[in-house]
Amino acid sequence: MEYNLRISDADIRMEIDPHRENNSLTAVIGEQEYRVSYEAVSENRIYMVVDDGKEKIGMDAYVAQTADGKVIHINGGVCMVSDNDDSSRQQRKKNGAAGLPDRVTPPMPSLVISVLVKTGDTVEKGQGVVVVSAMKMETTLMAPYAGKVRSVNVAEGDKAAPGDILVDIERAETYKN
Amino acid sequence: MFHKILIANRGEIAMRVIRTCREMGIATVAVYSDADKKAAHRFCADESVHIGSSEPARSYLNIERIIAAAQETGAMAIHPGYGFLSENADFAAACEAAGVIFIGPPSKVIRALGDKTVARRMMVDSGVPVTPGMHRAETDPVRLAEAAEQLGYPVLIKAAGGGGGKGMRIVASSDQLPEACRSAAREAAAAFGNADIYIEKYIARPRHVEIQVLADAHGNVIHLLERECSIQRRHQKIIEESPSTALTPILRDKMGQAAVAAARAAGYVNAGTVEFLLDENGGFYFLEVNTRLQVEHPVTEMITGIDIVRHQIEIAAGRKLNLSQSDIAGRGHAIECRIYAEDPENDFFPSPGKILFLQEPTGPGIRNDGGVYSGATVPLEYDPILSKLIVYAENRELAVKRMRDALSRYVILGIKTPILFLMDVMDSETFKQGDTHTDFIPRHFANWKPTPVNPHGACLAFAVHELTGKKRSEAFSTAKGQFPTPWETLGNWR
Repeated sequence: MEYNLRISDADIRMEIDPHRENNSLTAVIGEQEYRVSYEAVSENRIYMVVDDGKEKIGMDAYVAQTADGKVIHINGGVCMVSDNDDSSRQQRKKNGAAGLPDRVTPPMPSLVISVLVKTGDTVEKGQGVVVVSAMKMETTLMAPYAGKVRSVNVAEGDKAAPGDILVDIERAETYKN
Repeated sequence: MFHKILIANRGEIAMRVIRTCREMGIATVAVYSDADKKAAHRFCADESVHIGSSEPARSYLNIERIIAAAQETGAMAIHPGYGFLSENADFAAACEAAGVIFIGPPSKVIRALGDKTVARRMMVDSGVPVTPGMHRAETDPVRLAEAAEQLGYPVLIKAAGGGGGKGMRIVASSDQLPEACRSAAREAAAAFGNADIYIEKYIARPRHVEIQVLADAHGNVIHLLERECSIQRRHQKIIEESPSTALTPILRDKMGQAAVAAARAAGYVNAGTVEFLLDENGGFYFLEVNTRLQVEHPVTEMITGIDIVRHQIEIAAGRKLNLSQSDIAGRGHAIECRIYAEDPENDFFPSPGKILFLQEPTGPGIRNDGGVYSGATVPLEYDPILSKLIVYAENRELAVKRMRDALSRYVILGIKTPILFLMDVMDSETFKQGDTHTDFIPRHFANWKPTPVNPHGACLAFAVHELTGKKRSEAFSTAKGQFPTPWETLGNWR
């Protein structure tokens, strides 16, 4: 069984050979081979004894499945491990990448407190354009790149959801002469 | 003594108050909003009353509705917790008018101390040192600018109506002042219903040290030593401890006496906290009186052995303090870490969502004041505090180690928390040395990133979970919360 996993920014390829009958598996990650015996303590908890050929280490791991992969708490550290082969996730990432990072949109449902720019304004990258409030905390949404404000789609007091484009900015390159 | 108390709050603090009530044999009434239908505090009370929709103004800040809930259920007194209506003089006055006892100081004391400028004048008159600054709130931008100019930049804008960092801004130069004032006033208006602001001289690299006081209605006032609360983000405390590494016995005594003098000057009754800024030369300046139970009260309870909530209730019932100053002694060392739903990699921005799995650490000297559970959804309408982890040990060095270990066993999956950040703070030399100032996080932990975990171990755990866990599609349907998960959204923040 082959897995192509992603942790933080690293891709890791792992080959496993499960032996379900005795709760164990062998795994190869890079050059390293591991013999693992495990116990699924509960739905979210796994205990593993990992033998890397030199020593045996006990690992207490807590795992929860999210839409983007598994969140794993292991020996005091926490990370997200996602499966690069999971096509539904791939698709969602792609959509996200096309939409979110280069637009002015709140990261969670928010209330618009004030709009700092108007249509036609020239903005610098990182300039504050809209102030929103969520969980009683104010945060300024910044222009993702330099450009000209094409339209302002919200007003003070409006509610905004992730994905809503609050201020549409035309990139500077496109109108440079 | 009261036979029934209503707790006008939610989350961990409501549960904290309920625990003491149970020990005292007092029945409890919880209140909850739409967003909190499944909140933990609702279920540990003897009964609960729905008080409105999710917006705070229509539920936890709705004075009439809360007093009506107390009357309908026959509660004789209301404990306000912290935040929400806890420092709202109108609420205390409304309780007084309705014949329900407000567990806190009299409304006129809250009103006087709640206006930070009035409080400052009161302290000046009673000889308690204060930071240089305006003695009156101001809305005129010209006068605010003049005051700032006179004090010299950097200055600190503060809300006259409240604390907790809401409506507070550090301003480095005059061109930033107008927007900072507008935004501070807006935040203050939203948080406290009062847009008044004033300006103080900004004291560089202070420590934030506060003294807990207890005062009864018979003129007895004592203090319960200090809490060191210098480590803050967004002007909100995140790590507190007692005793403070900065106080000598002489300074502790001086600050304790100043706090008692401040409480007497204000005619204070019930538990309160006198906050001071401590500069590097041992000079201390009155900041404000918090006329409520503080979030960080457990560290005082741990080192003094005193249940502050019990004393609050007894004082509110008119009893005399059964403690005198000579009864109070600190023993050992206590540290509290606040566990919020927030992302330490993104400026501690709130991270609401569903808690997929929760396991709190236990063991000798470990106290959890929690308000959530596995499967709970953290609503976005309220302060995102989940719980407080408090440790006690015989000295500071051991307390730091105990906290480090307890944090490493604290498992919260599904939302972001500062646990890994807090572990790194406990591991840092500066914290171990007690070198804690209010600039601690920006100075030592700016752009903090978590140390990567053992990636191979995580991959193996992934594989084992795949082999033994539920089918993915089923897991998905239970994992999907009401909101997009932080994993989906926060990555693109900024």
